[in-house]
Amino acid sequence: MARTHTAEETKTAMHKVVAEMYDRIIKGEPPTMTLPVRTKTNIGFDKKLGVYKYGKKQSVRDATSLGSAKQLLRTLHVVEFIEEMLDAGKSSTLREMYYISEGWGMGKFGSQNDSNNLAEDLEIVTKCLREDFKLRPEEDGARMIGNLTLRERNRRGEWMRINARDDVGDSGYGVPYNVELEKIELLEHDIDFIMAIETGGMFDRLIENGFDEQYRCGLLHLKGQPARSTRRIMKRMSEEWDLPVVVFLDGDPWSFRIFASIAYGAIKTAHISEYLATPSATYLGITADDIVAYELPSDDLSKKDVEALNAELTDPRFADSWWQEQINMMLELGKKAEQQSLAKYGLDFVTETYLPEKLAELGLA
Amino acid sequence: MTGIAQKLASNQKQVAISEFFEKNKHFLGFDSLARSLITAVKEAVDNALDACEEARILPTIRIQITKVDANKDIIRMVVEDNGPGIPQKSIEKVFGQLLFGSRFHAIRQSRGQQGIGITGVVMYCQLTTGRATHVRSKIATEPTAAFVDIGLDTRKNKATKANAGREIWYNEDGSGKEHGTEVTAEMKAKYQKGRQSVWQYLRMTSIVNPHAEIIFIDPDGEKHHWTRVTERLPTKVESIKPHPHGIELGQLQRMVAESNDLNVNHFLLNNFSGVTNRARKELCEAADIAGTRKMKTVKGDDIRHLLEAFQGERVFNGMPVKLLKPPTNCLSPIEELLIKKGLSKTIDSRFVSTLTRVPSVTQGNPFQIEVGLIFGGDMAGDKPVEILRFANRVPLMYQQGGCLLTKAIESVDWRQYGLDQAGGRGVPKGPAAVLVHLASTNVQFTSEAKEALADNAEVMEEGRKAMLEMGRGLRKHLEKKKKMAKTKEKFELINDILPAIAKKSAEILDRPVPELSGSITKIMSAVISETTTEWNKQTKQTDVEIILFNYTSRVRAYTILATWPEKSGAKIENNENGGRKEALGVWAWKLESLQPGEKKIIAYSLSGLERGDWTETEVLFRGSQDVIGATKMDEKFLQEIRRQEQILDESGIDSPDTESMSESEMESEQVSETPVEETVEPAVAPPEGQRTLFGGEV
Repeated sequence: MARTHTAEETKTAMHKVVAEMYDRIIKGEPPTMTLPVRTKTNIGFDKKLGVYKYGKKQSVRDATSLGSAKQLLRTLHVVEFIEEMLDAGKSSTLREMYYISEGWGMGKFGSQNDSNNLAEDLEIVTKCLREDFKLRPEEDGARMIGNLTLRERNRRGEWMRINARDDVGDSGYGVPYNVELEKIELLEHDIDFIMAIETGGMFDRLIENGFDEQYRCGLLHLKGQPARSTRRIMKRMSEEWDLPVVVFLDGDPWSFRIFASIAYGAIKTAHISEYLATPSATYLGITADDIVAYELPSDDLSKKDVEALNAELTDPRFADSWWQEQINMMLELGKKAEQQSLAKYGLDFVTETYLPEKLAELGLA
Repeated sequence: MTGIAQKLASNQKQVAISEFFEKNKHFLGFDSLARSLITAVKEAVDNALDACEEARILPTIRIQITKVDANKDIIRMVVEDNGPGIPQKSIEKVFGQLLFGSRFHAIRQSRGQQGIGITGVVMYCQLTTGRATHVRSKIATEPTAAFVDIGLDTRKNKATKANAGREIWYNEDGSGKEHGTEVTAEMKAKYQKGRQSVWQYLRMTSIVNPHAEIIFIDPDGEKHHWTRVTERLPTKVESIKPHPHGIELGQLQRMVAESNDLNVNHFLLNNFSGVTNRARKELCEAADIAGTRKMKTVKGDDIRHLLEAFQGERVFNGMPVKLLKPPTNCLSPIEELLIKKGLSKTIDSRFVSTLTRVPSVTQGNPFQIEVGLIFGGDMAGDKPVEILRFANRVPLMYQQGGCLLTKAIESVDWRQYGLDQAGGRGVPKGPAAVLVHLASTNVQFTSEAKEALADNAEVMEEGRKAMLEMGRGLRKHLEKKKKMAKTKEKFELINDILPAIAKKSAEILDRPVPELSGSITKIMSAVISETTTEWNKQTKQTDVEIILFNYTSRVRAYTILATWPEKSGAKIENNENGGRKEALGVWAWKLESLQPGEKKIIAYSLSGLERGDWTETEVLFRGSQDVIGATKMDEKFLQEIRRQEQILDESGIDSPDTESMSESEMESEQVSETPVEETVEPAVAPPEGQRTLFGGEV
């Protein structure tokens, strides 16, 4: 379902949205735009795809209030703008579109967040992808290091062969915003698994300690909540190379959410979960158990942390017993811990003791 | 004033003026260096206002404060007015006389109830700096101004004058001054800023004296200017005689002792208000005193009995003697429109509502409460509201917490009217200022300092009622504002956004631009009214326009009503839609049919008003479908207006006062048998209810 579309297909899909508004006016009704409800109350597990998708709940955005009417007008301006880009063979970033909207009069965006949300709305309703709209994200792609080889088409249109261990510097291979086939081909690898890491400090620690070579793995720096392209390339590597993915994050409620967006699909992008999520990914740590078992230095949960954990308890993505146990345990402990708290036992503890022990549980070391 | 003057008189012989001052400075208003300056300005300004009022001159008062010696806190005050001036020989009397011929039989609303007047200032200057007060004054009929230095001989306890002379008084622009008085005084004092300052005193004075032009130059040389907003001088107040309900024993004793009346009958009829011939007879009987008794023979117990009869402790036929209420024409309220103007010029805001209640009586003293509320604008939203208290047009600046007027404000649960108030008690918080003015012939203070009004159930109740009424006005305003914001949004939606959606979607689909009326009806699904009330510079009239849109799919019919200041003498002009008078200050138009999508305009102008007099028209409607932007007619509202109309009509009728009796009748004992007219019901306006209240947008 989630696949790229041609310019004509994209236009046709967008015209359907416009026609809904137009036809309502012709009928003497307020114009509307119908879209799925985008909250955790409307995501469900899709057994066929193995990820969480939007359910059947629809919300109707109609022009009976000023805010909604303005949103409809903005949508029309965005559609027009995308059509112009498609015709001219151009693309723009979401931020650029936000600034271009300055010229849209009453249809201009109130904030950049507005323009991001609207682009997502349009994706959801048209079932097209952002890439089809020629809208690029501002977000930063991930860094990757490990003995894996891919081919990237550079800006001159030439294919470059890159080995993410031998052809890159210490900062690794930078994942571009477009990781589709027309841009990136996965060639070969000599690794046993991929490890996604939340913080740059831990990523660098593992590289410095030569963890990738010793344990035959590819290391990926997520940079917090991973960008779409980061999630997409993880999924491709996992599927095309049939590699396990383990996720190594801080031990706090926000890390749980990062993992959920990697493995099950993010709520905001549930319309393309099957395209971004890696259902086989495993949460390696830091778990609530680890805080106790390794006696890690920890911080008290803030009010917001507790709220987030409670919200996760009712999130369908965390409905299984392992997650319920972890979340409840963290609530009971009232504590959270960072990845780098492992340094309590020395700089090599993470690579010589913690990770080998955790990987052994999964049969990866 | 009486009490202090007498105290002064009795003390004068024994103690030196300096000692007297030291002992009594707290109630003379000179207890701190900061307050001394305010008191000095106050005495001078009060004198100027009173003189102008008396001479029916619109006052222009200029006050300049300069620091003579900042290290020693020596300050010079110059107050100049355009009053009638004081004849040369009277200057000494006004500024140097310690005793006043007090007319305690005459009761009326007056400013000078605090301190000992300008003489106190002269004394204070002499005692703190050793310097005399320089006075210059010119009356219109003389070509030159008289000047003189007034001081005090502290050893002889006597006023002194020196350096008297005459000169031509030039204005700043070189022209000759026609009339006025200028006081220059140097004293030990401190100039302060803030809530208790000369600035605040003048600002408050300007609010309740909208007919005055006040210019203040502070020690930094900064000029503060409060402009005149009305040409109307306060109405001249009539003196009234004391009412038996408000008399105390001491006063009655004095009145009896000083009486030149022939006998008790004459005494009662000549010296009191509210005593009819019937009441006179009944009072004598209740007090067990023959009406023909010569006044000289009335002593001790007789006076006490008379007082007991006054107070209803001694009865006639088992009932306290019924008395008329005192007349209320002795009061001079500022009045709604003028308070509104006074407030608006000093405080920037969005909403002003003012209310003058009809006069009422407590313990034989007529009084009247006026309130004003100003909301929004630049005022801080998280602080307690500013309270502006006044008694007989004099600002009260100290002891706010202990004052009856503050308590009246605190007794209202302001939360229901849109202000913050912890627990529904205390001074509310919000971007507002509340004004309370008590006009009364006898203002009761908590102490000699005369800064806080003493508790009084009737005054409190009147104040509270006024606050409630004003609060309702504020709530209405806030609700209306919310509704108007919503309506404005809807108009933006259908006038701007919807056409843009139609146009853009048609462009993208390459189809014709669709018709919008159906969608508009569905989106609005209401009848909407928009009202503007604007001052027209060219015509000097207030233009009102009421627009009605029918955004429903059915034909509608309404009666539209609008409020207008009929009571203030306005006239409706250019009213092409005709209509009829519904009640005092309410005009009505019948709209037989308003078609779907139709727009109707009711436009008219109001003449006879000044700019800022009328800034918000309340629009009401009768009809089944709601009108956004108008209020459904509450018939009780009309009843209330009609009731007030009646009160006003009645108050126009003169009160049938004491019937006069022939001398012969008065001499004989038979007089008491003469049947007299029973007039129990007062003919002046009853105390219940208020004049009107229509808030306004500034």
